[in-house]
Amino acid sequence: MDGLAQGLTFGFPTMHKEAGERRDFLPPLIHLLADLGCEVFVESGIGSGMGYRDEDYLSSSRVHVVDEDSAYRQDVVVVLRAPIGKFEKVRRGATLISMLHFPTRPTRVRHLKELGIDAVGLDTIEDDEGRRLVVNSKAVAWNGLEAAFEMLERRWPQLTSPARAPVRVTVMGAGDIGKQAVEAATKYGNAERSDLLRRYGVPGVEVVTIGRNLTSDDAYLWRRLSATDVLVDATQRHDASVPLIRNDWLRLLPPHAVICDLVVDPYLLDADPPTVRGIEGIPQGNLDRYTFDVDDPGWDLVPPQVPTGHRRAVASCYSWPGVHPKRCMELYGKQLAPLLETLVQRGGLAGVRPDGSFHERALHRGSLRARPHPVAVGELVHT
Amino acid sequence: MHKEQGERRDFLPDLITHLDRLGAGEIVLEGGYGLGVGVPMDAYLEVSGRARVGSYGECLDQDVVVVLRCPEQEELRRLRPGAVLVSMLHYPTRPDRTALLADLGVRAVSLDAITDRSGRRVVENLEAVAWNGVRAAFREIQRRHPHFDHPSRRPLHVTCLGSGGVGSWAAFAATRYGDPQLRESLVATNVPGVEVTVVDFDLTWHEDYMFGRLEQTDLLIDATRRADPSRPVVPNAWLAALPADGVILDLACDPYDLEVAPPVVKGIEGVPHGSLDGYVFPPEDDAYDLIDPRIDTTNRRLALSCYSWPGLDPVGSMRTYGEQLEPVLSVVLGKPAGDWGVNGASQVERAVARAEVSRWMGSRRG
Repeated sequence: MDGLAQGLTFGFPTMHKEAGERRDFLPPLIHLLADLGCEVFVESGIGSGMGYRDEDYLSSSRVHVVDEDSAYRQDVVVVLRAPIGKFEKVRRGATLISMLHFPTRPTRVRHLKELGIDAVGLDTIEDDEGRRLVVNSKAVAWNGLEAAFEMLERRWPQLTSPARAPVRVTVMGAGDIGKQAVEAATKYGNAERSDLLRRYGVPGVEVVTIGRNLTSDDAYLWRRLSATDVLVDATQRHDASVPLIRNDWLRLLPPHAVICDLVVDPYLLDADPPTVRGIEGIPQGNLDRYTFDVDDPGWDLVPPQVPTGHRRAVASCYSWPGVHPKRCMELYGKQLAPLLETLVQRGGLAGVRPDGSFHERALHRGSLRARPHPVAVGELVHT
Repeated sequence: MHKEQGERRDFLPDLITHLDRLGAGEIVLEGGYGLGVGVPMDAYLEVSGRARVGSYGECLDQDVVVVLRCPEQEELRRLRPGAVLVSMLHYPTRPDRTALLADLGVRAVSLDAITDRSGRRVVENLEAVAWNGVRAAFREIQRRHPHFDHPSRRPLHVTCLGSGGVGSWAAFAATRYGDPQLRESLVATNVPGVEVTVVDFDLTWHEDYMFGRLEQTDLLIDATRRADPSRPVVPNAWLAALPADGVILDLACDPYDLEVAPPVVKGIEGVPHGSLDGYVFPPEDDAYDLIDPRIDTTNRRLALSCYSWPGLDPVGSMRTYGEQLEPVLSVVLGKPAGDWGVNGASQVERAVARAEVSRWMGSRRG
């Protein structure tokens, strides 16, 4: 193993994003690479958002704590969210592994190619069936629902009463995120809360999930909205220029209802065609701020052309997995470990064969080498 | 696999390619291998010069034996001591067989025991359990519903018990009638879709709620994983509330076993236990007569139950298993079984080592 890994170095810079973004790769992944014989360079302060110290990463003499530039100057650079504005720090010919969203970022793809970076998109590493290998849709659903139920409890104290009827959740969209949302909703987005309420004999949650063939049925949706305590948007729309739920329909929701936004569509009204959010007139949050009461100043940031007259409390976040950073990075670390092991075994990306082992094939699919022509399509972009 | 007639699964040629790439010395395939999945023997022999056809006995005589479902016990005795058997072995519920494998000195690796660090199975096909079962159920509904494909019909109501691994896939599949092509055609003609209501154990106990729910249900799915399998989630008496043309789909497929303590019963009481040879049971089906008379079968609806739902789509099932098996076989052929480390450097090696029978039994002994 040492022979293959000889000379291959890894860099782990930190992300330097919004204050709420506390994620970095955790020590076990770094230790794994060092155990495989690689020199690993982590940026000083890595993991500090989750309570780790530099010393926690120093498992062997092969791990080095360095500054940001040095972390970027390695053969393989691994950083969770795309290092916008820092691509130039990566050496020509080096490998960058990150959530790069090639399909929706054609300009970025061109830029990476111009810089000669051998990039791998974490979000485009897929198995033979097209399933992502580094993905945390479970955290999108659970963290979003957890925030939504916390808001519901504040607005509707009966939530914890044994005398109440079952809570009614409607999940729009039955794709991967929607599927996870169903399970999360049956547990109030939080298994401990679920256990507690069950012990007190409080009736549970009835989750109704509907796909495109019912979300396009206006009359059905109106009836459904009036019987909904938590409305979850987990849709992947074919036409992002038209909202699924018009703002005036929100008046049909009970006043205490909460909207849980698991989709990250922005408002892009100047684009052609424009992009609007699936539920019209709700604000978009991030890791610094992801819950919005009806009088929250966050509503003022919605473009003025978008109607916001009918409001319900909203939970929305550009990056739901980051709400519980350690849990999230434990999962990403586990998912990434066999891929990095394969990369090391093959002596770097140049040795990865498109028809090689399961993980080689997946890595190749995720790389820019496999994508000569980027095509822009809409997709969920949670990291 | 030498199982029931409906069991047609064998691994696909891609796995032979992988074994060849890993440097397997010789790959012996039993005569007729692949026929059930529609793959001619030539397709296997073409991908590896080291593949050849042999008898069943010759297959069992190899250093590594790979077969999806476990051979019968007398066949296991034919394995060589030290040979590696890779199969679904279900150690916890088959203690006699597990002890036999250990006694024989077979380095068995149970596919269902290979788990990652969070305990999630690495080789599984819950997706196929859900999709195949739901597709079969909707075909029965389509056959019986007078206006199934008419825009005037109301949305169909599915109630799914359980929201875990199988349940969440089942809910997903049900919104698509278990058949994306059928769904597309119904969407194109403006036929109202499917409303899926998912309820878990914190609501299934609520008798009043459940009666109301069952009354509105066209398809009732059992996708539960019960902490206490001695009690049904839906007692047979509750099925009286289900419409006469309602359909029951058993995805959990727990057996009836009243001889063990505590006894095991199905999640929906009174549903027959099916297999790949027979999985659709109208209320008058003879299969009800085979159920232990202590089980209440008074209230009957059309029911579907199959011990091995993935086997309904043998090619899809084996494509998935084959893909999941590749990294496992890389470990198996990479070094002798005795050298697999439960603390090895590779995640897959650790997982395979934990699933090897002697180490698995050792971990149970504490």
